[in-house]
Amino acid sequence: MSLRVLTQDSADRGSQRCRMGLGLMSTHGLNLGSPLLVSIARGTCLCTAWPRSDLTEGFIQIDLKCVSPNLIVQPSLKLSLGPSQLTPLTCSKLRHIKVTVVVQSVDFRKNTPLHIINELVKDMMKGVYVWKKHVINVEDWDAEIKYVVVEEVSPDCADAGLVTAKTSVDLVGTQTQRHFQRQLRDQPVDPLGGLDEVCASLREMLELPLLYPGTLSSLGVSCPRGVLLAGPPGVGKTQLVRRVVGEVGASLVVVRGPEVVGSRPGESEEALRAVFARARAEADEGPCVLFLDEVDSLCPRRTGSSAPENRVVAQLLTLMDGMNQSDRFVIVGATNQPDSLDPALRRPGRFDREVIIGAPTLQQRKAILGVLCERMPVAPSVDMAELAQRTVGYVGADLGALCREAAMCAIRQDAQRSGGQEIDMSHFQQAVKTVLPSCLRSSLGRTDLSPVSWEQIGGLQDVKLKLIQSIEWPVKHPDAFMRLGLSRPRGVLLYGPPGCAKTTLVRAAAAASHCSFLSVSGADLYSPYVGDSERALAQLFQQARACTPCILFLDEIDTLIGSRCGSQSPNSVQTRLLSVLLNELDGVGFKTLERRGTERVLQAEGKLDYQEVCNKDVMIIAATNRPDSLDSALLRPGRLDQIIYVPPPDREARLAILRVCTGTMPIDDDVYLEELAAKTELYSGADLEKLCKEAALLTLQDEGMGACSIKHTNFLKSLDTMSPSLTAQQIHTYQTPLS
Amino acid sequence: MSMPSSFALQQALRKSFQHLETNQKTWHSVLAECNPLVGSVGNLAQQLRALSNVNISNTPLKAFPDLQERLHFKLVQALDIVLEKLNEKLVLLQSVRDSNSNHVTAAFQLYERNADTLDLYACTQRSPVAPSIADMLEWLQNAELYYKQQFLKRKTLLHSLRPDDLSLLESTPKRWDSLETLSGEEYITDTLFRVSFFVESHKGE
Amino acid sequence: MEDQSQSSDSRKCSAVTGSGRKLKDNAADWHNLILRWEKLNDEGSGVAEKIVNQRLKLSPGEGATPPPSAAPPSCSQLEQECTKLLGVVSKMAAIVTRMERLASSQRGVLELEGFQWGAAGRGAPLFHGWPTRLFVELSQGLLESYQKELALKQRVVQELAHTGPLDVCMVYLSCWLYQPYIPADSRLTLEALLLETGHRAL
Repeated sequence: MSLRVLTQDSADRGSQRCRMGLGLMSTHGLNLGSPLLVSIARGTCLCTAWPRSDLTEGFIQIDLKCVSPNLIVQPSLKLSLGPSQLTPLTCSKLRHIKVTVVVQSVDFRKNTPLHIINELVKDMMKGVYVWKKHVINVEDWDAEIKYVVVEEVSPDCADAGLVTAKTSVDLVGTQTQRHFQRQLRDQPVDPLGGLDEVCASLREMLELPLLYPGTLSSLGVSCPRGVLLAGPPGVGKTQLVRRVVGEVGASLVVVRGPEVVGSRPGESEEALRAVFARARAEADEGPCVLFLDEVDSLCPRRTGSSAPENRVVAQLLTLMDGMNQSDRFVIVGATNQPDSLDPALRRPGRFDREVIIGAPTLQQRKAILGVLCERMPVAPSVDMAELAQRTVGYVGADLGALCREAAMCAIRQDAQRSGGQEIDMSHFQQAVKTVLPSCLRSSLGRTDLSPVSWEQIGGLQDVKLKLIQSIEWPVKHPDAFMRLGLSRPRGVLLYGPPGCAKTTLVRAAAAASHCSFLSVSGADLYSPYVGDSERALAQLFQQARACTPCILFLDEIDTLIGSRCGSQSPNSVQTRLLSVLLNELDGVGFKTLERRGTERVLQAEGKLDYQEVCNKDVMIIAATNRPDSLDSALLRPGRLDQIIYVPPPDREARLAILRVCTGTMPIDDDVYLEELAAKTELYSGADLEKLCKEAALLTLQDEGMGACSIKHTNFLKSLDTMSPSLTAQQIHTYQTPLS
Repeated sequence: MSMPSSFALQQALRKSFQHLETNQKTWHSVLAECNPLVGSVGNLAQQLRALSNVNISNTPLKAFPDLQERLHFKLVQALDIVLEKLNEKLVLLQSVRDSNSNHVTAAFQLYERNADTLDLYACTQRSPVAPSIADMLEWLQNAELYYKQQFLKRKTLLHSLRPDDLSLLESTPKRWDSLETLSGEEYITDTLFRVSFFVESHKGE
Repeated sequence: MEDQSQSSDSRKCSAVTGSGRKLKDNAADWHNLILRWEKLNDEGSGVAEKIVNQRLKLSPGEGATPPPSAAPPSCSQLEQECTKLLGVVSKMAAIVTRMERLASSQRGVLELEGFQWGAAGRGAPLFHGWPTRLFVELSQGLLESYQKELALKQRVVQELAHTGPLDVCMVYLSCWLYQPYIPADSRLTLEALLLETGHRAL
């Protein structure tokens, strides 16, 4: 037998009645007006029992006058209740209660003497059954007092009791409704992974002036009043502020830059002033944080003329200067482009401190993943460290999306076959493919990298080994490098005749080392505007640094960057690009904003630590087939110090290449690849691939579409029609050592 | 159902309703006395507003330099007197509320004391001559709540007034009038009407 | 002066004679005059309210005075009311004149005392405890406030019917109603005077 919950009659509003059938009342031993406790959803409600006026059974109507706090926020009533959810109570008269009063406006709170509020509350509470820690809703009185929170009841042998005229009501404090409701809502704070250090430093900044203003003033120090959070989008700036504010117990006034900006002249300034006034009012009730999200949109760098933005900036500066010691609130600004902020904002006294949150490092990613996966049914086989390594360049928001996507994958699979509700590594691997790191989003060097394995490249064993040594090992085993005092190479130059798999080699190296991979060629960077190419290159490096470990691949570097001693005029784009590249290679272009994590002294804490600390640099790989036209400055140690010649394939290599190329082709048994390899002197890898394709096409041409295998003759025929793309003389020039 | 306790309860209810009736009348008469006072609060507020809007030195009264100050003082003094009188009325309203409340509480306590001897079903039994005991208790409670809320709203309004908050003072008559809810008054009248036969019929017993 | 005061008290038979008698009568006169003033003020208030209301009706919008020639018939009514109010003010003026006379007679009593007893003044007070000087000061204070109030009222009555903005009208009206120049304690002063002179029992 379940009871249907109906909405209450308007006449019963505020009467604390719970209407039900007579039979139910008598089975529970309830008389008219007997107190009873109703358990609803996640809370309870204290009511008095009354029969329904039509005396029908099976329905229940509840007046939510005295409820547990969580029902104030979400008064979601289930549509039915079981009779067991009603508990009759015996309530004695209370001698004494302690209450907190929630009032509507700040004005009322300020202007009304406490004894008046006390009188009002006493009048309101008379005849009400109360439960300890419950909230009494008195909104229907249309008074300034909205809720009364019962803090303590006495005699405290019981949790519940009746307030009578003789009950003394003690006022513990007053709050405004906004503050109260926010407190109720703010209780669950989302955990935040990987930002512990930033969190602590921000927390300290907020706590000192807000909670201990006396200590600071006794030291004769003025409290810091502003913090600027800088970092790329999605790293959790906004969430960090919310979290810290929640922890400190301060109230939060959020302003998103664009919200304040209005079209009418003076509107934005007015809105800004209103926001500060609001923060000041909130600060009267307790610590308060004024959070200016996207502050760069609000305060762009001032330009010469009297643009409207200039006035907004000036207004903000004035307001920030106008804050005095008695204003107990702190301003936190967040931006992802601190450089576009007006510099006047970034001086002590305004934004005193700048906290930089970079893209998460390996350890931070691991922590974030740990937090995200805490509430997900993740299979024990999932290795968070491995996942963190695979998610280079992902920020917090990306990782959130990744986990969501993985869960979606699991659900999709579950729908097909009923299995355990667990998310395993394969789901994550699938998700990694669909969710791309936002650090690299919109980057011009972003390439959709289809992973190439070393085996897919025939021959070139020496080159492969060298690449593995100089790229994969330092990324994967930094501890070993440290142990032997080896420093990793900063850059690698691959040179060799065209078509000899330089690009493919780099791809394979990137795929094997799980690095993020950015690739640019000359065409990507060229722009008709002066200075644009240089900026693009610098930005590329900046992005690459944000996603370390990262491989930045400059294909055809000779077209990109010329040589200064060449015929080009010293001011050409190429020379300017060269100087940018040299700067970046030497680490000059590094900006404070790009700081990630905290500087750590290396201690042997574990492999992950090594990987994190050592892989801060961007690995540059350049490829060219004209090494002679490169500026010599690029090639000195510390820049592109590992120079690898990718030779045209020799006989054995050609054989290996042919094997790889024909791996997917149905070839006749008579095909003798060794012979082909011997006959293809001066053929490059690309040539060989073409050769195989040609042979397959010839087969189709000769034998019609039904052909099912390729004969040796066809290979020979295609060999006859082709000529090698390399010449002996060309190869000779490559083999002479670089000057 | 034990007859004596039921009878005693009915007597108590009867008494409570009779009190409710007299209380309703007193309440009305006190409110009627308040009306001119509240009106003059609004009036004084208007005059204060006018005074603050006018710069005496720009009017034909510029020969009286201290006029502004003096007049303001006089007006505020008058306002004080009116508010004082309103507070006296408020005390009257409070006593009406309290006496009503006491009777309802007494009736309810009588029920609670005898609840075990009174049959729940009998308490909800309605007859052509009398509403059920449950109904009557409910109506009394509703009436009590109504007067409590009415009193509190008026008290809050008066307490919120301050001589420097002109707009609040100006809106006082309107707000005071708006507190009077027709439905609430009608509810009381309806209730009295519904129990009138019950109250009358058993008077002799 | 001495003769005058003696002749005036011949009507009433009382234990108090001479200067005391004079002061006592003066106190009673003050009381009566002030009562009459109050009555006149109430009378005038009604008239002034009517005038302002009519003015508001005549020119609902704020601003300039309506030209008298173009005014509707109620304008004559307005004129009538203004005359009434002028009458009230002139009666008030008469009261103030009498007040002036009272004050000067009290000054006379003080001068007489000075003549009789020298600068130190009379040894024992005339009534319960006030020195004669105090009577003079008090009545002078009352007189001054009423004089000022009268001047204000005369000014108001001139302007009331033809002024511009609504707010100013309102101020005129409140000037009339709340008599800014009559201090709040004037009533107390009068009562003290009556007490001292034995008109009111202690």
